[in-house]
Amino acid sequence: MSTEGLSLHHITVRFGGLLALDDVSLRVPPGRVVGIIGPNGAGKTTLFNVISGFVAPEKGSMTLDGKPFRARPHQLTGHGIARTLQGVGQFDGMTVLDNVQVGPRSEAEAWAALERCGVAEHARNFPKALPYAKRKRVELARALAARPRILMLDEPAGGLDTDEIRWLADLIRETECTVLLVEHHMELVMSVCDEILVLDFGKPIALGTPGEIRSNEKVAEAYLGAAA
Amino acid sequence: MTALQDRAGTKATDRTKAKKISPWLVVVAGAIIVVALTYTLPPFRTYQLATVGAYLCVTAGLTVLTGLNGQLSLGHGALMATGAYTLALWQNKFNLLPVGILVAVLVTTAVGAVIGLAAARLRGPYLAGLTLAVAVVVPSITSTFDETFNSDQGLSVMLNPPPESMTNEQWQAWLCWGGALVTVLVLALLTRGRFGRDMKAVRDDETAARLAGISVARTQVAAFVVSAACAGLAGALFAVIAQSVSPGAFPLTLSLFLLMAIVIGGLGRLSGALIGAVLLVALPAVAHEIGEAAGSQRLEGNLALTFFGVVLVVVMLAAPGGLASLRVPFTKSIPFKKKGH
Repeated sequence: MSTEGLSLHHITVRFGGLLALDDVSLRVPPGRVVGIIGPNGAGKTTLFNVISGFVAPEKGSMTLDGKPFRARPHQLTGHGIARTLQGVGQFDGMTVLDNVQVGPRSEAEAWAALERCGVAEHARNFPKALPYAKRKRVELARALAARPRILMLDEPAGGLDTDEIRWLADLIRETECTVLLVEHHMELVMSVCDEILVLDFGKPIALGTPGEIRSNEKVAEAYLGAAA
Repeated sequence: MTALQDRAGTKATDRTKAKKISPWLVVVAGAIIVVALTYTLPPFRTYQLATVGAYLCVTAGLTVLTGLNGQLSLGHGALMATGAYTLALWQNKFNLLPVGILVAVLVTTAVGAVIGLAAARLRGPYLAGLTLAVAVVVPSITSTFDETFNSDQGLSVMLNPPPESMTNEQWQAWLCWGGALVTVLVLALLTRGRFGRDMKAVRDDETAARLAGISVARTQVAAFVVSAACAGLAGALFAVIAQSVSPGAFPLTLSLFLLMAIVIGGLGRLSGALIGAVLLVALPAVAHEIGEAAGSQRLEGNLALTFFGVVLVVVMLAAPGGLASLRVPFTKSIPFKKKGH
């Protein structure tokens, strides 16, 4: 197994006159949990979209295990990367089992992922019949069923209660995957991440351990304003 | 129950596959019923039965495309015309029906692949517009190349007489329902597996489908190709039934009728496609009888479309999922046996 992981080099994305990402570099070593935080509009999801192949960067490059990497979204799972979306991103016309089995996954992989996420008993239900938290678990199960090396979670705690967030934190800690986490829930981010990248208006303003980020003045300023 | 308790205490889940009727069983039962009907119905009704079989080929393909994959096609009448003209040209040159039907399906599949490639780049009204243009353009090609297609007069189809042991209507019904049952079987097997899941995923959420590892464009083109092949088969069977083809047999209203029929029957359900195929034969026949009784040919021409419109409105109000979504009341009274864990 390579020790290189995923690396982003000087990624710049511009939407017309808006600089969405400005020279962002990040190394995600295997087995680590790396958080990406920042105020709304900081460019967190855009960075996920670059890695996922939804957005082509104006400048910069990516490498996976030391090799140049640029996948189209449907090729992502083939590279061992799975991503969840903000919200629930579900297929309402299919049962929970089919939702998780969709794409190149076997039924056994789907069942294993459903059990790991605690929603196996809802396998024959339709997602719309489930509460929001269960639907988030189903989406997570679909990502895990792909047996990814790198798991990209885009605001997985959005809309969840304390118990569900605790469950999510346990899952992230226990998983063997490398995890890239975009999240607004600071308690979750600080408790599970090994390293955190902070973006503000597309620019990386800090990179470090949770302790370093907590005491970083630039980060406090970005979140609370200049007066902080 | 908290999330943690939930996770720790996940119940042993019944992993036995949900019981579904085997498509093979349905096809065998369908074949027996059709054969029985061809020996009991009068010749005209047997002819109508054959027409239902031919329509079932196209409605089954269209309901998979529109209902399962979410692609709206207003051009399936034109794809039927492609299959019908291909068969007519083949028969008039070689008079070898089984190969002719195969060639008609292949040619229509190729045309469907070209349209499908364009369709995969379009959404909603733009896709409807493209397929509508196909429905308008294809019949007019017969006028442009009238030496080949004989313009509005159309072509007659050379056919060998049916075997002596059966009537022409019986032979037509067997042929059309043979095609229909093969179509239904293939579509049922296709849609129950990964292809079916991929199509539904693309219909429900393209972004999530991509992230699940599905090539949206490839799935959409494949769905269009499969559906076009079904339309080509239907067109070829219609050419056999009518023993002639002309642009007037494949007007724009045919494409609209097909779409309305699958919506009334139940989008995305093969049983709905069967109901739609029956309606495509029954409603114009009723309109014809009313028109004749009223002594007005103009009334007869417009009445079928009116019937479809009224039935569509009524069914959408009473059963938004189409007639196939309705359940027979007595099935609710059957006690549900719970499996022990």
